[in-house]
Amino acid sequence: MFKKALLALGFLIAPGIPYAQTTLTVYTYPSFVSEWGPGPAIKTAFEAGCDCQIRFVALDSSVALVHRLRLEGSSTPADIVLGLDANTLSEARATGLLVPHNIDTSAVSLPVDWQDDTFVPYDWGYFAFVYDTKQLASPPKSLEALINAPDDLKIIIEDPRTSTPGLGLMLWMKAIYGDQAPEKWKQLQPKILTITKGWSDAYFSLFMNGEAPMVLSYSTSPAYHMAVDKTERYQAAEFSEGHYLQVEVAARVAHSAHPELAKQFLEFMLKPGFQNEIPLKNVMYPATDIGDALPAVFDHLIQPDKTLFIKPETVSNHRKDWISEWLNAIAN
Amino acid sequence: MAERDRQLRNPPLSVAGWQLGPGLVIAGIIALISSAGLGALIWQWEGGALARLWESSYLRQVIQFSVVQAALSTLLSLVIAAPVARALVRQKHFRGRNALLRLMELSLVLPSIVAVFGIVAVYGRTGWLNTLLTTSGIDWRWNLYGLQGILLAHIFFNAPLAARVMVQTLERIPASHWKIASQLGMTSGAIWRALEWPALKRLIPGLAALVFTLCFTSFAIVMTLGGGPSTTTIEVAIYQALRYEFDFGQAALLAIIQLIVCGSLWALASRHGRTRDLLPYSGSSETFSRVDTEGWYRIRDGALLGLFFVFLMAPILAMALKGVPGLADHIADFRLWSSLARSLLVAIGAGLVSVSFGLAILAASSGMRQRHHAKMAALLEASGHLTLVVPALVLGTGLFILMRPQLGSVTQGLALVMAINALMALPFVIQVLRGPMSSVSPGALRVADQLGIRGFYRWQFLFWPLIRRPLTLALAYAIALSLGDFSIIALFGNPASPTLPMLLYQQLASYQLDAAAGTALLLVSVLAGIFATLQRIGRRLPDVISEPETLNPISDDDSGDAYARRS
Repeated sequence: MFKKALLALGFLIAPGIPYAQTTLTVYTYPSFVSEWGPGPAIKTAFEAGCDCQIRFVALDSSVALVHRLRLEGSSTPADIVLGLDANTLSEARATGLLVPHNIDTSAVSLPVDWQDDTFVPYDWGYFAFVYDTKQLASPPKSLEALINAPDDLKIIIEDPRTSTPGLGLMLWMKAIYGDQAPEKWKQLQPKILTITKGWSDAYFSLFMNGEAPMVLSYSTSPAYHMAVDKTERYQAAEFSEGHYLQVEVAARVAHSAHPELAKQFLEFMLKPGFQNEIPLKNVMYPATDIGDALPAVFDHLIQPDKTLFIKPETVSNHRKDWISEWLNAIAN
Repeated sequence: MAERDRQLRNPPLSVAGWQLGPGLVIAGIIALISSAGLGALIWQWEGGALARLWESSYLRQVIQFSVVQAALSTLLSLVIAAPVARALVRQKHFRGRNALLRLMELSLVLPSIVAVFGIVAVYGRTGWLNTLLTTSGIDWRWNLYGLQGILLAHIFFNAPLAARVMVQTLERIPASHWKIASQLGMTSGAIWRALEWPALKRLIPGLAALVFTLCFTSFAIVMTLGGGPSTTTIEVAIYQALRYEFDFGQAALLAIIQLIVCGSLWALASRHGRTRDLLPYSGSSETFSRVDTEGWYRIRDGALLGLFFVFLMAPILAMALKGVPGLADHIADFRLWSSLARSLLVAIGAGLVSVSFGLAILAASSGMRQRHHAKMAALLEASGHLTLVVPALVLGTGLFILMRPQLGSVTQGLALVMAINALMALPFVIQVLRGPMSSVSPGALRVADQLGIRGFYRWQFLFWPLIRRPLTLALAYAIALSLGDFSIIALFGNPASPTLPMLLYQQLASYQLDAAAGTALLLVSVLAGIFATLQRIGRRLPDVISEPETLNPISDDDSGDAYARRS
């Protein structure tokens, strides 16, 4: 009996370890491979078309991907890294461990022109302030209006030093205001209720507790509330200056033992088997036009007139200075 | 009989090496992992970090703020803990005393996202407290965000821990002392001066160092409730340097500064907390009448304990209320229960390992002290606290470098998580066990030496009766801390087979907010269950493992009747 129980526990802990075929190792972030993420469906779809297995290795964030890659260097078991964004890809490129994708990326359709020989985008979204319609009937119509709003309008934001949306807002402000950004941050500060470590703290612990009517998130967040929670209570505020773009990308690792298979995976990434899983499971826009496969709720999302985006190299070169600038503006 | 004689002459585990060996090896391993982490960072140092650090007014401000907020948090936690502990010891029959004790144990181990959710729901801008103020027509509003919020959260986590350890210490004041105090009709103040303060005095340096370190290295709480980057701890700066700037040199430097600040505090604490007990402790359930337990005192104690109960309970209640619908919807979800099974397996393993490590380290340090190597003893105990001071990220990096070739399957990952969690819980285990372990009376030890009671029997007859209850408390802390852990599991776990906290974060990341609240509720319930169960087990454990037939060396030594009296 005890042995049986142990055996059962063993299965709980380690579902399906043995690999007979070729294994493609994909480094990614946890929510991509969780039960609700796109990972499981994508794995099934890709494995159906090859005599191989995908092994997802989840590291705790996209930054951790680069970190792990650097630590492992040429001995890395990774074939693919999936989940870098525009702000971490320069560091990833600098490791020298990634190689050009060599695939046809003409299907990619992003709000900006994407030309990169190493990184293939698989989804995108805009940063946006999500607001609670029960608390706030008419949200500010622009970033400028938010900055000049009365101080009793409270917002929750994330820290650019520890969070992707946090960094997104910093770049958003920079893209609009340039050298004036620190001054604008000072004006915005009285409206900031608090600055959290990450998205979960901001969204779950504070926003869902009704602490403030607005939270920094993604323009696609309401899609989930509408499609799954069946509520239109939470909406994104559209700002007239335009919204900052978030792009998620993947790349091949130079020391991969299966370069052909890795290439095949990157090609598959732009096909419906992968792209159709993105909208509701990663709650982002797919990187290609998937036509009717795009859920209807996505039609109700904001469609910014203007897309703001700073080149990854520029961000990489200035991030440190911009963060100190931000700190000096706000840490008083 | 001959067999028995042989056993008495050579009891199991009676070789001196068994007292020192395991503890030394474990301390060595911990030191190796920590220095590998730091070393790896320093090795990748690109220079210039030191100069930049001293030039940056921001970093100076961060260090200063870390020290000030940790010192304030510690002071307030201890100042609140002491009267609560005294009231709990005075009011043995207070209704809900047991519930309050379990709640006090629980608050420390709550995962920070759960605690923050509860604290915000109660003490936030639109929380229960402010709603209550509004409905009572009071114009004043409590603002959670800022230093006051950080202090509130740190008190929420640490005051109960401190009070819990204090209660344990106060309860070990010998019954004979209470008897005398009772006969003399000592006032509350006199009891404090003559009995309680002397007992707490030697506890406080270590306890203060522990609380200070916890607050000093606090991360998510400080960021979320601090209101902005002007309230940042060194830990945040380390994270930033390591994760976003790839500036390993700066990360290592900051980690070393953290090590120096907390390390010197521990050194100070171990110097002042080291005075040997003049009188040994022994537990007793006998109660002697005290003048300060009746009438007005009773009401005052009741009010204090009631207030403390509400302070701790409200955030947990808020979390629970939010979680009920989610848990009800997902109660049949296989994933929820398999995650729980995985969590329990890892946590119980980690708990047992942690308690064994703690005992080994304490045994080795007391062995060293007997051999008059006081410095070595202090170093051994310090190694048990290293995991508090060295950031998890640095530890993780160190382990990664040491064990990289072996990293493979899910099971290995979980084993690694178990080991690191055991190390993370070690400081709490040591804190709970150190007092009882060192309270075997010197007289009893001398007699045991003369009679040649060594090895396993020494442990069985001398230590077991004194530490059995603290042992279950330490085990409960270790299991619960490991169960609530997210930072280590995030580094080495596998999302396809998550533990309960991992599942919680996955649900959050996928906007499964109701389900996440349900998972949080289950997690909190399981944590509470662990403390309740182990407390029960502790109460039922026999005084001695097996009753000695012929061996009863001391039974009437007034100062050392540890085994004669049942507690």
